Amino acid sequence: MDTQEDALSQTFAALADPTRRAILARLAHGEASVKELAAPFDMTQPAISKHLRVLEQAGLIEQGRQAQWRPRRLRAGPLRDISEWVNQYRRHWEESFERLDSYLRELNDRQEQGNGDDDDRDPNRPR
Amino acid sequence: METTMTETRIDRGSTDTTTIYSEGGDLVFERTFDAPREQVWKAFMDPDLVPRWWGPHGTTTRVAEMDVRPGGKWRYVSSAPDRDDVTFYGEYLEIDPPASFRWTFMFDVEGLGPQGGPETFRFEDLDGRTKITSIGHMGSAEAIEGALASGMIAGAIGTWDRLEALLTEG
Repeated sequence: MDTQEDALSQTFAALADPTRRAILARLAHGEASVKELAAPFDMTQPAISKHLRVLEQAGLIEQGRQAQWRPRRLRAGPLRDISEWVNQYRRHWEESFERLDSYLRELNDRQEQGNGDDDDRDPNRPR
Repeated sequence: METTMTETRIDRGSTDTTTIYSEGGDLVFERTFDAPREQVWKAFMDPDLVPRWWGPHGTTTRVAEMDVRPGGKWRYVSSAPDRDDVTFYGEYLEIDPPASFRWTFMFDVEGLGPQGGPETFRFEDLDGRTKITSIGHMGSAEAIEGALASGMIAGAIGTWDRLEALLTEG
C-alpha cells in the first residue's frame, strides 16, 4: 500500500510542473527526441533532460530503443490510474446530485397530488 | 450568493445545474435543490432513502452499515451491470443536523488501494430551497491539478474519450 501511495505522490509531483505537463501533452501526439522536446521551451537540453528524468522515474514516459536519438514516448498506465479515481469521484457526485434532484422533485409532486383537495399540506399538523 | 472569489478557485467543468471547482486541495460541488432543508438532510441520513439517489445513473446501492454519530461507520455497496461491486465506506466525523456533516469518503481502486479522504457537506436554507455544498478534500492542489491534467492528456491519447468530453464541456 505504501509503495502504491509513494508511486501516486511521485506521479502527482511529476505532473505539478507546467513544463512537464507541456512535455506530456507534446508526447500525446507521438514520440519525440530530447531536441524536439526542448524546442518550444527557452531551456537548455540538459534542463529538459532533467524534467524527462523526473517523468521517467514517475513511470509516465519511457525511452525508445533506437540507438541514436532515443525518442521518448508516453506510458499511459499511471495517467489512467490517477485520473480515473478523481474522474470517478467527480462523476459520482455530479450524477448523484442529479438523481437526488429527481427524487426530491418526485416527493414534492406526490405531496402536492396527495393533498390536492386539502389546504393543509401537512396531514399531521394539528388543526 | 457569494460575491467574493478567491484567486485559487478554478472551474472544473461546471454544468447548468452544478458548480464544480477546485480550491487548493479541495474539489467542491454546489447545487441548489427545490426542497426544504430537513427533507434534503433526511435523504442523506435515512438508510431507506439513500438507495433512491446514491451513485451514478445505472447503478444501484445497498446500505450495508450506517451508524450516524461521530465515530460511527458507514458502508454502501454500489452495483452496476458492467462492473464488479464497488464499496464506499468511511466514518462520520462531525454531525450538525440539518446544517452540515463531515465524514470520510473512501473507495478502493484496483492497483491503487484506498482512495478518497474527508468530505464536508453543508446544507443552506434558501427560502425553502436548499443549497448543498460538498467539499472533498483530495489532498494537495497538485493532486487535483495533476489528476485533471493527466485526464486531459490521457484523453488526447484517445483512451479516455469520456473523460476528455467531461473536462472540455461547459
